[in-house]
Amino acid sequence: MDLAPTISTQGLTRRFGELVAVDGIDLRVAPGQFFGFLGPNGAGKSTTIKMLTGLLAPTSGRIEILGVDLERNPVEVKRQIGVVPEGMALFGRLTGAEFLNFAGRMYGLNRETAAKRSAELLDFMQLADQPKKLVTDYSHGMQKKLAMAAAVIHGPKVLFLDEPFEGVDAIAAGTLKAMLQGMIARGATVFLTSHVLEIVERLCSHVAIIHQGKLVAQGSLEELRAGVEAQRPAGAGDGAGDRSLRSGEKMTLEQIFLRTVGGSRRAERELSWLG
Amino acid sequence: MSELDLTVRPLTQLAAISGLRWRLFVNALRSTRGKLELVSRILIGLAFTIGGVGGGLGMGIAASMMISAGKPELLALLLWFVFVFWQVFPIMATAFTNNPDSSDLLRFPLSYRSYFFVRMAYGAFDPVTVLAGLWSFGILAGVGFAKPAVLPWTLLVLLVFAAFNLLFMQMTFAWVERWLAQRRTREIMGVLFVLLMLSFQLIGPLARRFGTRARPEAQRFVEVLAPVQAILPPGLAADAIARAVLSQFMVGVSSLALLCAFVLIIGYFLHVRLRAQYRGENLSEVAAVSALLKDRSLRLGWNLPGFTAPVAAVFEKEVRYLLRSGPMLLTLIMPIFVLVVFRLGPMSSFRNSGALFMRVPDMAFPSAAAYTLLILTNLAYNNFGGDAGGIQFFYASPVSFREIVLAKNLTHASILTIETVLAWIAVSFLYRAPALDVSIAALAGLLFAAPVNFSAGNLLSLYSPKKLDFSSFGRQRASQLTVLISLGVQFVVVGVGVAAFWIAQHYGDFWIATLILLLLAGISLSVYVVILNRIDGIALARRETLVTELCRA
Repeated sequence: MDLAPTISTQGLTRRFGELVAVDGIDLRVAPGQFFGFLGPNGAGKSTTIKMLTGLLAPTSGRIEILGVDLERNPVEVKRQIGVVPEGMALFGRLTGAEFLNFAGRMYGLNRETAAKRSAELLDFMQLADQPKKLVTDYSHGMQKKLAMAAAVIHGPKVLFLDEPFEGVDAIAAGTLKAMLQGMIARGATVFLTSHVLEIVERLCSHVAIIHQGKLVAQGSLEELRAGVEAQRPAGAGDGAGDRSLRSGEKMTLEQIFLRTVGGSRRAERELSWLG
Repeated sequence: MSELDLTVRPLTQLAAISGLRWRLFVNALRSTRGKLELVSRILIGLAFTIGGVGGGLGMGIAASMMISAGKPELLALLLWFVFVFWQVFPIMATAFTNNPDSSDLLRFPLSYRSYFFVRMAYGAFDPVTVLAGLWSFGILAGVGFAKPAVLPWTLLVLLVFAAFNLLFMQMTFAWVERWLAQRRTREIMGVLFVLLMLSFQLIGPLARRFGTRARPEAQRFVEVLAPVQAILPPGLAADAIARAVLSQFMVGVSSLALLCAFVLIIGYFLHVRLRAQYRGENLSEVAAVSALLKDRSLRLGWNLPGFTAPVAAVFEKEVRYLLRSGPMLLTLIMPIFVLVVFRLGPMSSFRNSGALFMRVPDMAFPSAAAYTLLILTNLAYNNFGGDAGGIQFFYASPVSFREIVLAKNLTHASILTIETVLAWIAVSFLYRAPALDVSIAALAGLLFAAPVNFSAGNLLSLYSPKKLDFSSFGRQRASQLTVLISLGVQFVVVGVGVAAFWIAQHYGDFWIATLILLLLAGISLSVYVVILNRIDGIALARRETLVTELCRA
């Protein structure tokens, strides 16, 4: 059965002057998917996620979240989504509890619920130890956890995360992963961008790869693997400087990614003066 | 591998920093907003030049007349004026200060000497420094014109005086910033500031207690304060020049030596602060937390009867931000402080010049109310400046900008109300209780002026946003375009208010002013509502500019 997508875009395009940052992409994310959105630096990942969350206006194209047109009903969409954008969107001069309380009320929770969930989230994220500490004094990892807590305080059906694991230590990453997997188990959809392909491979059920503003691959990991395998001559290496695969060995996401975007590792041959 | 000379040369670094500042300036001109900023800077620069040249001319004429009249000791008045302006103006009008965060440079292999030099160079190019420098040059020219023989000596004294002012300004900012960085020192600072304000109130009673009633006030002021001011830097600089004019060079040299000692002492205190910054001190309150506390009590957010939850949430957030911003609180308390200074400071002693409110005490409350609103423009014209990355939260949340902006305006209106009440009490205490008709006319004036300022402020907050750090002192630089337009709006609003009061006074009935201002308030409120209802569309159209400007590192 083909479920109505949670996130869908048609011809989504964004230009910055002459530069086409996102070039007519058609995304389709089904309910309950843990969706990884990958691409090299400057490929258009952050631009796409900003457009999907209403932080940036598309030049053209259409975005539907949970079947609602984002441009026509932005408030209705925002009510049902949670966002951790690139800059984390925090208010530095509040304490963690004050910020979460504030976030909860902005998403329409009553005072009691907002306060209760704030306390629970602070506890879950292990941020309750220093209640008087201002957000601006938090470490990067603590800020990431707080941003994540603020994004989920209203129980969103869709969560958009831009590089959620960047600069986060293993313990904090473990906490975040546990929370995200819990959300998926309860039927929410998570859309994340990340450079850490190992994490995406471990967490995500579906992946899309964007390169130079164009969507070059989309599907489950198995579908992507099958697609790349089909294009590869039998017994050949991955063409990106990696070792050849032994018979029966599955391609890693990194290998799929490198083959899809045509990346290569030439750094060894360059910058000979380093070191 | 080619042989490279990796010696770090301070001059190369300073040239690189100058180049960086130049590139930042040039690159800013790429956008329309940058070009408008340039136009605003030129216009503001022109105003400062007029103030500098005009003030310099006035200072020159005054200095020349003092020397010619055989009263060179009166130069102290001019130098005290220059000193007070140099030190106080940056606090009162922080928008004009130009002190970018030079601590960013510490990641590079910059020597301490270069770092110190860069900090001083930033201060030297402050508009305030340029203005005060022009005035000092006027004094130099005036003294030189009246007595050419002491020109080189006067130049030397004024250069040392300028160095003192520059170091003192930098030292004040550096230390106040240090003290405001932590909660405990911030609270101590607040108490000290209040005590300082209260101590002003003691000047008058003390002067009356120890002075002779028959003496003129000006003479009493001179007798009480002259010996004190003479051993402070402006007095010492004036004395050094005056002694030279009177051919008492040895005494003049000793005054200059004492002034130099002040420069060294202030320089040392500045050095202590900058050295700590250079070594990478951490002023965050992380280290100050001695024990880990787990607070499990639920803290409910605020409730604003009659308003939605998001409005109450933003209102609470704004108030918390303000309460945690020492610099902002200091700025907001200025109207009361100025009233106290007007009443009890030296200006109240000269019946024919500064004691305006002693002659027309009825005008004290309206003027204080107008000044309160003027100070508030720091916030109201850059609504989102302190939110920084939080602006993304506003855009991602399911709340209309209409509600967000309304909450911010409510905060500002609340501050205005509290300050107006405080001003009314202060005026009653310092002068006399404002008459009912004057008080109501002044309130009607605020009802007219506040929506005008909020409307203009809401638009400029979206069209010309500027990231502000509420915790930093002396770095709160609004966009030049905003400064210029806000000055224009104030000019019109104050002009209308003055006209209404003038008409009322002409007919001897302040209720006329109330009527006029209430009519205008109706119009300005309607304009405010119209603009507020269009804020969502404007905010959406401007989201890229806002996010880019406010989220930059």
